[in-house]
Amino acid sequence: MGDSKSIPEHDVIIVGAGPAALTAAIYTTREDIETLLFERGVVGGLAAVTDKIDNYPGFPNGVEGLKLAGELQKQAERFGAKIELGEVSAIEDQNEWKLLKTTDGDKKARAVLIATGSDYKKIGVPGEEEFYARGVHYCATCDGAFYRDKRLVVVGGGNSAFQEAIFLTRFASHIDLLVRSTVKASDVLEDEMQKFVKEGKVTIHLGTATDEVVGEEGKGVTKVMGTQDGKKVEFLADGVFVFVGLKPNSQFVAESKIELDDIGFIKTNPDLETAIPGVFAAGDIRSGATMQIASAAGEGATAALKIREYLEGRPHPVQN
Amino acid sequence: MVKNITVFTSNTCAYCQMVKKYLGAKGMTYEEVNIDEHPHRQAEAMKMSGATTVPVTVVTKGDDSKEVVVGYNLAKLAPALV
Ligand SMILES: Cc1cc2nc3c(=O)[nH]c(=O)nc-3n(C[C@H](O)[C@H](O)[C@H](O)COP(=O)(O)OP(=O)(O)OC[C@H]3O[C@@H](n4cnc5c(N)ncnc54)[C@H](O)[C@@H]3O)c2cc1C
Repeated sequence: MGDSKSIPEHDVIIVGAGPAALTAAIYTTREDIETLLFERGVVGGLAAVTDKIDNYPGFPNGVEGLKLAGELQKQAERFGAKIELGEVSAIEDQNEWKLLKTTDGDKKARAVLIATGSDYKKIGVPGEEEFYARGVHYCATCDGAFYRDKRLVVVGGGNSAFQEAIFLTRFASHIDLLVRSTVKASDVLEDEMQKFVKEGKVTIHLGTATDEVVGEEGKGVTKVMGTQDGKKVEFLADGVFVFVGLKPNSQFVAESKIELDDIGFIKTNPDLETAIPGVFAAGDIRSGATMQIASAAGEGATAALKIREYLEGRPHPVQN
Repeated sequence: MVKNITVFTSNTCAYCQMVKKYLGAKGMTYEEVNIDEHPHRQAEAMKMSGATTVPVTVVTKGDDSKEVVVGYNLAKLAPALV
């Protein structure tokens, strides 16, 4: 991975800038540990693209995801965290140093925190790829505004699908919610959804598999084909929003010694340290994580304190 | 050379904020068209991008040619700004 002589050195590099990463950065920088974050998408991570967060402590009336993300960023930057807009594509253990390949060239860090979360899964049906961003979407807060007074299909039966479908009711004339098996959303979200079902704004179709997104060139999406009780069904739609789960952003560690679980989440010990000493993982990317902003923030804080312990136990390596 | 830049955004779009931050950090001025505030200009964004998504960044060059970048995509946005 390049000539080690001219490679910039950092105390800590954090991969990602979601809630876990930003919280960790608040802690490390307050301890005067120089910290650089890499973010390939949105600062604030999935929290930033969530309409409203009702279960993050300290906000009795809920908080907009974008607002929370902005405040977390400000807090981390206030203590000196630096956020670089770019991607980390590989990590290599060089004992006292960890070498990272990034869009801004190679970088070295004494300790690394991986807080890369996860990305939306696709359904993998015909038409999904073809009409991507032209009728097929994975982010309601980004693209919902294009569907004022239009018919939508939302695919998924978990918390994200329910939350996003509720958000989309402010634009759409009607939403067909296609749930492959049964509803897995929380009771609170189910209750809120029932209001829209009663109003006739949302129709929930349980046991309905999504088979194809159909559209026309120049017109975009026109309908969604599915199967319910072994019978073919179709739903007229101008757009489809897909929320069928998440896949871990761990591809970039595939060549390293870091261990993954069967799904691809990063395994850690109770100190949140991965199989490479000095490389930690926190938040949604960690195997066993509870996939909540509050727990991601908590893990970020824990990881930062463990990183401090790790660095304290080691003399600073000889500078280049 | 860049003559002017228009960014189509919406109120809740986090990726739009990232494009605006990026342009701001590069010291570039731009016109923002928020499609929640100006729904009648939504069709313009769709026509330029062929997509039903924001952000859409339209970079007009010195010779009046246009480069359209759909989404927050630094690999496309950065070269479009030179
Ligand atoms: C629709 C939806 C609604 C939700 N609602 C709630 C809610 O109401 N309450 C709640 O508590 N939780 C909610 N969640 C879950 C919550 O968003 C996540 O648990 C939380 O954001 C996880 O934080 P994180 O920092 O671990 O990861 P993320 O927020 O996913 O952030 C990870 C960041 O790392 C970046 N990244 C990934 N790979 C790389 C790389 N190689 N290089 C550089 N950067 C990289 C990503 O771009 C991303 O910004 C919701 C999730 C979704 C999808």
